[in-house]
This record gives sequence, C-alpha cells and structure tokens, in this order.
Amino acid sequence: MDTVDISQTRMVLLYGIAVLPWLLLWAGGLRLSHDLWLSILRMSVQLALVGLYLKYLFAINAPALNALWIAVMLVVADFTILRRAGLRVRHFFLSTLAAIAAGTLFSVAYLLFLVIRPEPLYDARYLVPLAGMILGNCLQGNVIGLERFYCAIRKNENEYLTYLLLGATRREAVRPYFREALKASVSPTLASMATLGLVSLPGMMTGQILGGSEPWVAVKYQIAIMLCIFASMSLASVLNLALSLSVAFNDFDVLRGEIFRQR
Amino acid sequence: MAILVRFDRVSVAAGDRTILRNLSFEIGEGEKAVFRGKSGSGKSTVLKTLLGVYPVAEGRVYFAGRPLDREAVAAIRALAAYIGQEPVLGADTVRQALLLPFTFKAHRGKTPSSGKLAETLSRLGLAPSILDQDCNRVSGGEKQRIAVARAQLLGKRLYLLDEVTSALDPESKRAVLDFFADPALTVLSVAHDPDWIARCDTVFELEDGRLAGAA
Repeated sequence: MDTVDISQTRMVLLYGIAVLPWLLLWAGGLRLSHDLWLSILRMSVQLALVGLYLKYLFAINAPALNALWIAVMLVVADFTILRRAGLRVRHFFLSTLAAIAAGTLFSVAYLLFLVIRPEPLYDARYLVPLAGMILGNCLQGNVIGLERFYCAIRKNENEYLTYLLLGATRREAVRPYFREALKASVSPTLASMATLGLVSLPGMMTGQILGGSEPWVAVKYQIAIMLCIFASMSLASVLNLALSLSVAFNDFDVLRGEIFRQR
Repeated sequence: MAILVRFDRVSVAAGDRTILRNLSFEIGEGEKAVFRGKSGSGKSTVLKTLLGVYPVAEGRVYFAGRPLDREAVAAIRALAAYIGQEPVLGADTVRQALLLPFTFKAHRGKTPSSGKLAETLSRLGLAPSILDQDCNRVSGGEKQRIAVARAQLLGKRLYLLDEVTSALDPESKRAVLDFFADPALTVLSVAHDPDWIARCDTVFELEDGRLAGAA
C-alpha cells in the first residue's frame, strides 16, 4: 500500500493549524509568539535536514557513518538535557553523555541483536530511527530527573545538612531526593504505557500503519519500543544521577552553587 | 578551657554579597556563646560556615586547633548538631525521626531501646506518648526538642542552635535551658531571646557581618 503524499500546497495549509491556538494563547495573555514560531521553524528546518540526511544515510548504510550519526544525536541530547535541566554543561557533559549513551546503546543493541535481528545488524533503516526514538524519550526523563534532584537538594539545604549531621554519607543524604527524582523521571513513561492504545495511538505505530505495515506488525514494534524506552530511560536516569554526584558536590559534601545555569 | 572553635579574620561571600567581614572569635570547650544582631547581619552564616556549607573567602576557621579541611569538617559533623527554628525530622512518626540516624551506616547496630528514647524525651519535658505521633502534628517547639533529643541520642557535644527557644512555652524553655547548662556541652547559638542570652557565657554582637562587640 502506498502512503498518500502531502503536497506543498497542503503543507502550507497544515501550518495554519497552529494559528488558532496561537491566537487563543495570545488572547489569554500568554505572549508566546516568539517561542512558538521559533519552535515551529526549528522543528521544520531540523526535520527537513534530517529527511535529507536520512535519505543518503540509508542509501550508503555504512557502519561508521551510522555510528557517527548516533554519536551526534547523543551529544546534541547531552547539551539539551543539561540546558533544560538548568545545569552547566561544562560540569556534567561527560557524566550525562556516559549515562545516555549507556542507556540508549544497551536498549538499541538488545532490540537489534536479540529481537529484530535485521540484515545487516547495523542497518541504518532500523538503527537510526530506533536509537532516535529511544534517545528522545530518554532525554525527557533525564531532564526531569536531573532538574528535580538538584533543585530539591538546593531548596532543602537544611534538610540535606541535617542528614549529614546525623551521620549520613553523601549518598545516604541524597537518597530521598534521588528516589523522588527517579520516580518523576520514569512516571510519565509508566503512565503512557498504561494508557497506550486506550487514550492514544502512539506515533511510531501510526506511522508504520500509514506507511503500509500490517497493524499487528506495528503493534509488535510499538511494544518493543515502549519496553526499550522504559529500560533505557531508567538505566540512563539512574546512571546520570549517580555519576553526577561526583561533580556536583565539593569536598565538604556541599552542593556547588556554580553547577546551576543563570536563568 | 581548650579552644574548640576559632574564626581568624574570616570573610564569607555569597555571589557579589559579602556576608561575614573580617570576623574573629574563639569558643572554648563547654562554653555557651550566642550571636545576636539584626536580621541579615550574618548570624546564621557563622554556624553554617563552621559546618563547611559556605566557603571561606578570606581568613581561616579552626576546629580543635586544625584548619577547616575535609577531615576537620567530618570531625565537626560527627560532634555537632545543627538545630534551626524549624528543625527537619525527616520521618513520619517521632519514633522514626529519633531512630533515623541509626539507619545510616555510621550508626547501624547502635539503635537505642524504647526506654532510652522515653528517658531522653522526658529530660526535655516531652512525654513518651509523643513517640507514636505523626511528625506533621507536633508543634514547632516540640520539633525543636525532638531534634535536641535525637542529637543527645547520638552523643553530640557541640550544638549549633538557631533560635532554638523561639517556639517554646515557659515550661519547655526551662527544660531546654537546663539541658544546655550541662558543662560537657559546647553551644554556639543565634538568638534574640533574653532568657537564652542571659544563660550564655559570651554574647557576640554582629552588625553587617562584622563583630560589633563581645561581652
């Protein structure tokens, strides 16, 4: 089954859908014009470039090029996570990169080597979109996790200090915040898994069906991706928080103020 | 009396703002000292600087004769209790709050008996029935005394107290004042309460981060 293409004229029509919410938000006193249009512009340009790039990436299908693409995605995700979590990149670049790389690559390898087993195993048509989807979700979870964790410790300085004075080690003293941050990090995915198919039809499954796949095949891929997203996000969040501890505190176990970005 | 805490021309800054300026003082073992001054004069910063929370920009802080380094801060934390106006109990019930430190590796296996908990509470004018109360339902004054009781269970001997009598009724205040009269306890406090100040050996006046007087 061929997918119905969207003509350029209809694409213009498509952008019109953003005008009504923009007007409503504006009428509600939210001055988001700049952010809204910039986000739409960025999304469009980025996706157009990705579309162009993927076309060649799939055609060349070289392992080194695929690996390079994933490395670029990881670095961009690293910067995005830290900026959105309000943390300075120079302090956490390596710890976050290591965490998201481990989380994403573990799930992607599991999925490709053990479950899907494409030929070749590094096939860009599978590797790149799957890694992208997993990483994209990992990104959201890690933003929430890091942001919650460090804001909570900063906000509850006396509480954290009390734990230290009661004999807690740094790891023991941060445990309550660690637990809360992890819960916040994985809760959206858990909620999403519990309602998938009832409240929403997931994007990947819809895309596959529109692309001509059998619904049952699309369902199997969707289950695979959701489980991988949950696994990678949990792994990356735990690793990210744990690895960040060594750079976020000074010798006296006090949270360093300079780790936070000036907003 | 051996010197336990010494600040030698200490300045502390937070961002662009200098909180403590060229501050020097000494506290001997067993001494009860109080800092008083207007809000924002840097009183609480003195306590937290000793705990290593704020980095020293200039000057030096000494604890038991050694400069404030990682080991000295660890030694202070092992010996000291910090109790603020709204102490953190960190648990659901009072019993759990008192036993919280014994869940940490440093104190594991040293859990006190229920009898010991009751005895410690009664020294501070608290009935044993409070043990099973929800921490959210105890008053500010009770929280302060529970925090002191917990510190006592850990054998703390250096108390850093920030307005510790602020929420107490006269009877409870008397119990707390009597408790801290123990010569084995060293107290570095921040207070406005005249009854508390009258019981202290040394009174430091802080003004805009500077020592304006000592008596």
